[in-house]
Amino acid sequence: MKKYEAVIILNPNLSSKVDEFKKDFDKLLTDNSFKILKTEDVGRRQLAYSIANHNKGHYILFNLEGDPSKLLEIETKIKYNESIIRHLFLVVKVHNGDDSSLLIESKNKKPEAVEIEEKKESKIEKSMITEEDSPKEEDEHSKKEGVDNE
Amino acid sequence: MSKYDLPKKFDHKDIDILKPFITETGKIIPSRVTGVSASNQRKITKSIKIARFLALLPYTDMHQ
Repeated sequence: MKKYEAVIILNPNLSSKVDEFKKDFDKLLTDNSFKILKTEDVGRRQLAYSIANHNKGHYILFNLEGDPSKLLEIETKIKYNESIIRHLFLVVKVHNGDDSSLLIESKNKKPEAVEIEEKKESKIEKSMITEEDSPKEEDEHSKKEGVDNE
Repeated sequence: MSKYDLPKKFDHKDIDILKPFITETGKIIPSRVTGVSASNQRKITKSIKIARFLALLPYTDMHQ
């Protein structure tokens, strides 16, 4: 028995079917006598570089315990699963029970996004007063944001 | 003491800790520049390389 930490990146187009995938994947693991100690659904995230022409990926993290010889069978199945664009199993000595920084970040991001939208609205309101300059300003902001995302 | 706030255990998922140790172009900065201890530098390097594989950090700025 070894302890594993697994990261799986799913095709972002299948984000809505994550629950189905999770069920199937949990079954695959338990069938191979793997214990699932913890799962973290991080959600869609911008990739640092494109994988198989995807710019975003759906990250799922697992804390597992199981037999190394069975892991090979799981990995061969993952290989032929087209919805998984990348996977990694790491052996760890001790599991870290805390939430990963990725999950915390994804949780924090959602309220931030709302704030940004609010700011935009307020800017638009301001620009309404100075009518002529308003479209240019907005364009510049959107361009800057685009650069940040890249 | 180094100016970086380093944890005892490095995690490839904690990008904010690793980001100060890569350049704008994505290269790992040598410890002679950052002043990090050799043992910490090995751990940082390992975590950065794993984070790159998981597309959390870039290999280079030339990605298309």
